[in-house]
Amino acid sequence: MLELVQRPVVDDVFDEFFADPTTPRANYARLAVTLAAVETDTLVNGVRAINAALLRRGVTFTVYAESSGTERIFPFDPIPRIFSHREWRRMAAGVEQRVRALNAFLHDVYHDGRILREGRIPRELVHSSDLFVREMIGVRVPNDVYIHVSGIDLIHDDQGTPRVLEDNVRTPSGISYVLENRDVLKRTFPRLFDGYRIEPVDDYPLRLLRTLQEAAPHGAREPNVVVLTPGVYNSAYYEHAVLARSMGVPLAEGRDLLVVDNRVFLKTTAGLERVDVIYRRIDDDFIDPLYFRPDSALGIVGFMNAYRAGNVGLANAIGTGIADDKALYRFVPAMIRFYLGEEPLLENVETLDCSDPVTRRHVLAHLEQLVVKRTNGSGGYGMLIGPASTAAEREDFARRIEATPRTFIAQPVIQLSSHPTLVDGQLSPRRIDLRPFALYGKRVDVPPAALTRVALRKGSLVVNSSQGGGSKDTWVLAAEDDDA
Amino acid sequence: MLSRHAESFFWLSRNVERAETVARVLDVTYTRSMDLHTGGTWEQRSWRAALAIGMLGAAPSAAPAPADATAANVLERCVFDKDNPSSIRASIAIARTNAIGLRAELSSEVWEHINQLHLDVQEQSGSSVAERGPSRFLRVVRDRCQAIAGVSDATLPHVDGWNFMQLGRFVERASLASRILATAASFDDPWPEWQRLLEMCCASFPFARAATHLQSPPDAAAFILFNPTFPRSVNFCANRIDAALHRLSQSPDRAYTDGAEKLAGRLCAAVTFADAADIVADGLHPFVRAVLTALDSLVGSIQNVYFPRVPIAVAPLNRTDALAG
Repeated sequence: MLELVQRPVVDDVFDEFFADPTTPRANYARLAVTLAAVETDTLVNGVRAINAALLRRGVTFTVYAESSGTERIFPFDPIPRIFSHREWRRMAAGVEQRVRALNAFLHDVYHDGRILREGRIPRELVHSSDLFVREMIGVRVPNDVYIHVSGIDLIHDDQGTPRVLEDNVRTPSGISYVLENRDVLKRTFPRLFDGYRIEPVDDYPLRLLRTLQEAAPHGAREPNVVVLTPGVYNSAYYEHAVLARSMGVPLAEGRDLLVVDNRVFLKTTAGLERVDVIYRRIDDDFIDPLYFRPDSALGIVGFMNAYRAGNVGLANAIGTGIADDKALYRFVPAMIRFYLGEEPLLENVETLDCSDPVTRRHVLAHLEQLVVKRTNGSGGYGMLIGPASTAAEREDFARRIEATPRTFIAQPVIQLSSHPTLVDGQLSPRRIDLRPFALYGKRVDVPPAALTRVALRKGSLVVNSSQGGGSKDTWVLAAEDDDA
Repeated sequence: MLSRHAESFFWLSRNVERAETVARVLDVTYTRSMDLHTGGTWEQRSWRAALAIGMLGAAPSAAPAPADATAANVLERCVFDKDNPSSIRASIAIARTNAIGLRAELSSEVWEHINQLHLDVQEQSGSSVAERGPSRFLRVVRDRCQAIAGVSDATLPHVDGWNFMQLGRFVERASLASRILATAASFDDPWPEWQRLLEMCCASFPFARAATHLQSPPDAAAFILFNPTFPRSVNFCANRIDAALHRLSQSPDRAYTDGAEKLAGRLCAAVTFADAADIVADGLHPFVRAVLTALDSLVGSIQNVYFPRVPIAVAPLNRTDALAG
């Protein structure tokens, strides 16, 4: 039988499951009863079967640093994370607000630059970013929407208060795991669902398709949508394929597309076929060798001309990276107040800007207590976790910060909340975060389909798949089932 | 459908068909060599014949076929050799690479069967297979390849992608049936030799039933080449190729609108209007060579029509054009 008594990692960590060492929170009460009756072997064998099935199904990602083409599964943890409907609604409203503000910011910096003129954000900070794309200045995009798909990473701090850890408004991935996790959990551990009514996740592809259709240039009827992937060697290729397949649209690579007369076409067995909307999962830099990296073999020659001429919709728009540049993150609350006239519903994490000389000195003196991130980084690559770092790593980062201070920020170490997780045949608390996805066609939609990532290594604070993370199914209770 | 996807469907099913046939050829050779149906001199010959089928398309730079065609040598080259594109392991890896490119097009059943077969074959080695006797492993490969073909037929819509799979499957099957026939030295080979060829084509029982009074080598060859209802005969394959091409081009029956259809039509005629007497008169090998040449041209033509290699010319783009538009 599973030992259900809480084992806290550190005293000041918020646990999602337990209110105190022996009492589960209201959401989890029913699950605790079910788990108490489950044989440990059943869970362990079930997980083994799931991981084998994931490999057979090719639900894998590629780790870039390792020898080429290492296919790995994203380990699955069977203990679900549960949100009450009320809690979820509050968070979703915060995410929705944030995405609207970030989108307004993008429209502003690529047009009038009001927020810069009025001095709310230093102009220098925006224009020095390599994520600011000059080619987008003055370009109108359909419905003025830039951020069609975003993933806003949230954590619960030591008080259980949700905070935004970072915004991902370029090509966030992870939704395929949300779909897959629900499916495998239902098939393998149906009993866990006893007594719960939870929001389904499997309409996400349809909601995404509607969003993409709304991104079509004006006048396109029954717009033709394609998913653009960098190809089979991309870390998230599986996800690209799942989304294309479940939306029923072609999964294209750059070489399958052709621009003629500033219009984009697919090369099909029946000749050229017009494309209206591209859901691209390829970075700005690679999308058109005529404008960006000339050595890109992944992109579409002449795409930017078609895009700027308004002949094709693109999700997300080019140049959205400036909105998730980590040096601008600390200004997001100001953006919310400036553009929406609202108070932020979600809190930020305190962030130190290394380009400021005084702050930089403070950061360099306290590297051991801080987390340092690259301003244009993502995926958990190239960050320093102070308390877990070696002196050599800190020296290395100090050198890099001195060399290019604009490209680094520092944050205090946040005590992410913990959640019971099956490790070596027993439940142990492990740190988790949450990535809800927001869709923005004509208005922002936050489907109840969020990814919970878990740091499987004891004491680790890094949940990224590339850094030893795993994932959990994430439940949002139906409205009337709150506190089930 | 995307040209690239069409091409991947074609090669996916071609390689699955190849792995299946190579597995069967090796299994038949192995099991028949165990009781020496026709004596020692024939054993070397039959392994050499298996090698000829299992090393098709090996690059000239690859290691040459082993001089000593022993069971162990041939199995190693034809089952595990990564540098031999016709080895079972390589064929399945190629099929899987194509399947990965088709992840958004395939049913999960087809994909999972291919992926699992690949993962299982990767795990095997010459020694692990030899330990239990190669038959067991070769049969698993054969069964699983047939399962992939069956699941494809049962789960994929019978439209473009499936039609390209049909082309790949039947082109490869016709080609391998012809090559199996080509390993016969002549119609004077002893009957057990011809039984071996029939078995490699899955034709032992169908032939016995169709030809109770005619058990001569020319009749066996004619059965594999011309029988219209046996699904592994060249005739049957040619007609399936013709039908798939017509479904793709949507041209009416007996209308031949592109190069691929014309070549397929010609091949159909060649294997419809010939019989055992013709191959006796013309010689087996010239006839089989003609069939193989026709299949090669046909594949080239399918490629030109549906997935051309020649890049499509693009007019030079002026960066300011877009702003005017």
